[in-house]
Amino acid sequence: MFVLPPPPRYPAAGYPGAPGTQLIETNNTLTHPTGPENQLVVGEGTYVLRDDLHLATPPPHPSEAPVHNPNPLATTISPPSAGTKLSLVVLAPRLQSNSRLYRLDTSTSTRSQVPPSIQESPHESTSQASDSGSHSANGIAPTPLEGLHAPAFGSQNPSLAVLNGKDTKDPLKKRKPKSNIVKSNSSFVSRVIPHEALSKRLQEHNPNGLYAFANVNRALQWLDLTSPTKEEHLTKILFTKAHALCHDVNHISKAPNHIDFVMGFSTGDVIWYEPMSQKYVRINKNGVINGSAVSDIRWLPNSENLFLAVHMDGSLVVYDKEKEDALFVAENQAESGDLAAHEKEKKAALTVKKSVNSKNQKTNPVAYWKVSNSKINAFAFSPDCRHIAVVSEDGSFRIIDFLKEQLLHQYMSYYGGMLCVCWSPDGRYIVTGGQDDLVSIWSLEDSMLVARCQGHNSWVTAVQFDPWRCDERNYRIGSVGEDCRLLLWDFSVGMLHRPRAASVRQRNSVTSATLKMQRSRTEGSTTRLRSNSNLTSGSVLDEEEVVHPVEPRARTAMLPPVMAKTVDEHPLCWLGFEEDCIITSCNSGHIRTWDRPKEGAGSDDAPSTTSASASAGASNA
Amino acid sequence: MTSFFGRLKSGTSPASPASSNPPAKKDPHAPQLTPLEKLLADAGPIRGDGSDKFFGFENFGSTCYCNSIIQCLYYSVPFREQVIHFPSRSPPEALERPANAPLPRLNTDLMPTANGQNSALSPKGRNSVSSPSTASPRKPVTTPGGAVNPQATKPEDNKDSPEYKKKQALAAGPVLTMDYENSKAYGMSESLFTSLKDIFEAIIAHRSHIGVVSPHKFLEILRRENEMFRTAMHQDAHEFLNLLLNEVVENVEHFSKSRIQEIGHSEANGLTVNSGVVVPDRTSTMSSTTGWVHELFEGTLTSETRCLTCENTSQRDEAFLDLSVDLDQHSSVTSCLRKFSEEEMLCERNKFHCDNCGGLQEAEKRMKIKRLPKILALHLKRFKYTEDLQRLQKLFHRVVYPYYLRLFNTTDDAEDPDRLYELYAVVVHIGGGPYHGHYVSIIKTQDRGWLLFDDELVEPVDKAYVRNFFGGANALACAYVLFYQETTEEAMQRELEDEGLAAAKQATEATAETVTVTTPKANGVVNGHPLMHSTTPIAEQDNHFASLSHAPTAPLLPHEHNSLDHIATSIPILGTRKSNLQSKKEKAERAKEEKERKAQEKELEKQAKQKRKEMETQRRENYRRQEEELRQALAASRLTANEENKKRYEGTGVDHEKEAEKANGFGSKTGLSRFRHSSMSLRHKPKFWPGGKDKHDESGEHDTPSIPGVDTEGGSATPLATPDKAEKEKKNRFSLGRKKSTFHL
Repeated sequence: MFVLPPPPRYPAAGYPGAPGTQLIETNNTLTHPTGPENQLVVGEGTYVLRDDLHLATPPPHPSEAPVHNPNPLATTISPPSAGTKLSLVVLAPRLQSNSRLYRLDTSTSTRSQVPPSIQESPHESTSQASDSGSHSANGIAPTPLEGLHAPAFGSQNPSLAVLNGKDTKDPLKKRKPKSNIVKSNSSFVSRVIPHEALSKRLQEHNPNGLYAFANVNRALQWLDLTSPTKEEHLTKILFTKAHALCHDVNHISKAPNHIDFVMGFSTGDVIWYEPMSQKYVRINKNGVINGSAVSDIRWLPNSENLFLAVHMDGSLVVYDKEKEDALFVAENQAESGDLAAHEKEKKAALTVKKSVNSKNQKTNPVAYWKVSNSKINAFAFSPDCRHIAVVSEDGSFRIIDFLKEQLLHQYMSYYGGMLCVCWSPDGRYIVTGGQDDLVSIWSLEDSMLVARCQGHNSWVTAVQFDPWRCDERNYRIGSVGEDCRLLLWDFSVGMLHRPRAASVRQRNSVTSATLKMQRSRTEGSTTRLRSNSNLTSGSVLDEEEVVHPVEPRARTAMLPPVMAKTVDEHPLCWLGFEEDCIITSCNSGHIRTWDRPKEGAGSDDAPSTTSASASAGASNA
Repeated sequence: MTSFFGRLKSGTSPASPASSNPPAKKDPHAPQLTPLEKLLADAGPIRGDGSDKFFGFENFGSTCYCNSIIQCLYYSVPFREQVIHFPSRSPPEALERPANAPLPRLNTDLMPTANGQNSALSPKGRNSVSSPSTASPRKPVTTPGGAVNPQATKPEDNKDSPEYKKKQALAAGPVLTMDYENSKAYGMSESLFTSLKDIFEAIIAHRSHIGVVSPHKFLEILRRENEMFRTAMHQDAHEFLNLLLNEVVENVEHFSKSRIQEIGHSEANGLTVNSGVVVPDRTSTMSSTTGWVHELFEGTLTSETRCLTCENTSQRDEAFLDLSVDLDQHSSVTSCLRKFSEEEMLCERNKFHCDNCGGLQEAEKRMKIKRLPKILALHLKRFKYTEDLQRLQKLFHRVVYPYYLRLFNTTDDAEDPDRLYELYAVVVHIGGGPYHGHYVSIIKTQDRGWLLFDDELVEPVDKAYVRNFFGGANALACAYVLFYQETTEEAMQRELEDEGLAAAKQATEATAETVTVTTPKANGVVNGHPLMHSTTPIAEQDNHFASLSHAPTAPLLPHEHNSLDHIATSIPILGTRKSNLQSKKEKAERAKEEKERKAQEKELEKQAKQKRKEMETQRRENYRRQEEELRQALAASRLTANEENKKRYEGTGVDHEKEAEKANGFGSKTGLSRFRHSSMSLRHKPKFWPGGKDKHDESGEHDTPSIPGVDTEGGSATPLATPDKAEKEKKNRFSLGRKKSTFHL
């Protein structure tokens, strides 16, 4: 036997590569790894790694001196943090991120001067089921104007409209936040480091170039991804203690000299930040409205002022960037009887703590809903601007009609929490990923699970549709996970009728999907009726229709990936598809850009940053 | 921050034990409730099923492998129940037993004083022991300063270190020294099973919710019978789990067989051996199914082997008690299980003997799960043999595990292939390699959430804490064995809902705290109002006093006065600052005055503090007294109620006794027999014992009764391995891993 001297039970320094607590501020680094291991080979060609931008992790704030606890069993709960996620924006006018993604041909219109007010598509769903019947079968693209049917959030409420009216008086002048972040003496913001030549770099910036906002640890960096010196941040903000967990850019209000950017923090605070003028405002200060961390945040589609933040206690809160905070008390509204009814059937209801139709709209929040008590991990707006898909740590996945403030569907993961969600560009399908290592595809109009995609070796942390490779029948989905891998999936409507899936379905026909499909068709009309009536009829929804049980494995189609590749050394947490590239980012701050395959002559070394920006500018060459 | 407040709260909470001497808050040794005690503050009377017992286990030098596994098994509810109820006995005899046998001998050597004065060893009782005056004679009294500075002191002296907490736990007791054995009482021969049962019973029977177990006898038997565990070296927890489960199976089966025989004998002779213990009724002995370990932990694997030469596929079923899975960097348990069932080539040294074409052939093999176990013990193979180092090495791979799990690698004909499992226990290995380190377990208890069991130390932890042991580059502590148990979607929903509610409740409390704490801090922030500084703390103080029944008297006055003074003085200061015209003398005078005043203020403040403290202790005393009275009243009412019950219900008499003990603080009888009033014979339908087989057909016997679950669950299952194979594998039947596994040496 071996006789080894037993080491101390709790060594002072950690084991392999203990977290060398870095104490100095470092710079971002840019590398250009090459070789076959940095290529993604798919049917359409080879994606090549353009570069790897590593964001420097900031040292801990002096006041938050790292308390080195050698005990690996220390029971102190660390506050929530998040890996690096990006918010991307191109300032040149183009469609907003949700609706610009429609079909292959939309990629041309992306660069054209289509006014942002026109939306693509929403394939109207349960709320307009009579239409959906005709569309779903033959896949006729709905007219772009159809999207205008969706009324703006809160449009029925006169007390909200007053404020909106104020805005229209002076539409050209963008409102900026109040306080200057550089001169701020807030203890929330530790330090702001603008680039020395910030204004020069802003001037040189190609209007079609890509700006990115990325969080890493307690820092937030504003980057110019099309600049030749993209590793040099435009502005870096260091927060004292809070970590930015999520952020979003408003694609409606952006202008050459204006970006509305919101971020949600581990402390529950939200900051509205305008990077050009370095102004900011803190909302939900010290968690006055909701004290739990913000896990995801997004601007409401087509809204300049409103954004939705989901908090870890299961609340969804709509804030107005320009309103003051006020201590929030759940409003007991006129239809409280209805609310009580909702609470009775607990599971199947959305608790409206403050309705958008509330008369009291002088202060934040604008609306306040609660889906459950478990942590919400992510949400996404449907392209038709009517629905939100919300995924939670308890494994539930909900579709909410946020205009009517009503829960439409509630599904469950196969097991474990759900971590990410995304809508197909046409709004027909929703894709989720979670702790069951699966990417699940759900159909909105059939209200059922379409397929499970198995291929990840660990939890799936982000899913996205690639709008440039989607058309009416075929969808390209990308997903990244804790296994450090990027997987691409091709999913086609025709696949639904593949013999395996079909036969499987027939075999268990009694309770199975076919029946459910029929039911949803017939009941679509009832839903429509309801949608025309007022909100109170929501309680009519019977639980069975809203809450869907877990589909057994034997009854669902399994989809294999078309490509699987390890693209980083660290677990990945974000994925984005751009016209000329795929971008991935990981928990420790690596942002990797993968160039799409070149059409025709493929010279791999071509993509320098300048050419990339050029190609981005010249729409579809 | 929160811990600070937690402490503060505990200090002022009426239930806190500071009673005899005025509480000196600055004293670092002041008796403080441990987190576990706080958690159990509202624990009611002791339950009979042991679900409200939270005992640590003493470590005798590298016996943490044993402690962590036993804890996991104890909180595997069905397993615990079975262990307790296994050799079924009838209640009256069980009651008799303590009279003639010195059982249960709950050792209280370590703390006779505490035991004598306060035998209701509730958390309150133990605190008097852990107070500095009595409990820390061994430890040189550390100065407060020393305790603050962790560098200068030994790890044991740091109050937050686990070493310190463990010492405290051991000192606080009660300590159950398990150096006796009751195997005779069960009619069994001494074995690991009987000593495990002894431990479980002692824990359940004890009057305290918390304490420490010293498993002397258990280790003695373990070491006597297994050479491997004889050294004081670090051992493998999974190997121990495997050994223990197999031993339990064997002991139980052995007992059942001999019992049948014995009963046969005794009936023939008309005399019973150990008649006081053994249930003479034949049917009730039959009813205790011996296959319960199998029923809980056993699943069936089907290995399909396809010979590449003759294309013939052969199937073989194997039973397993746990699954050992290989790990990959950055993977999940789900994927490890899928990998486990991936096709494997049998070639080169590892060729397959094909019965069809005869001889060793290359073949493809895959293993799938045919019958899913009720409890799924997953062993993550973190210790891997590396060729170049010629020894085992620990893999620090990050392997994530979800709270809920289903298995993808089932056969097509598996029953209930979508069975839902929930994670309820994690054994964590801490250390750099396989030859040293430490094991702890983190376990979800029935109604107290997740707890960390680190030898003597038991501490409540957050649910998210369970996720700290995925492993990874910087993680010294990684999950090593995961216990999943069967559950239902409804149960899951309910639990998640409850958890959410609890979290929400906690959150509102926490925000209430943080608002008071953070406002002063953060308020300088954007548009700082210095006023906030003063308002919030005062509000808090008011809260304190509001709870005082006799608050508005003396002590408050100086305080108020005080604050007025303060304002008065502060005006001249402003004046001095503004006007430089004033002479130095004046300034000096003022400064003097100022000083005096300040001194006075301080004095007053001190007095006020002193008074407040006194009041507080008084208040606590009052509260305690009231509580005591209430409890006594309750106990009395229960007593009468029980007495009434007693007439028709003999069994409940025990209950009432226990209640009385608890309330009055005495009681010489131990409550060990409590659980016996529910007789096991009712729990199981009398099942036909395949008694046609007699004991010399040993291998066959091992196989057939071991799978009663299969019988009940449907005949679709194919027969198990052939007897000769089973015989071959007899000793290690269940240590299942893949053939290619490198770990089992």
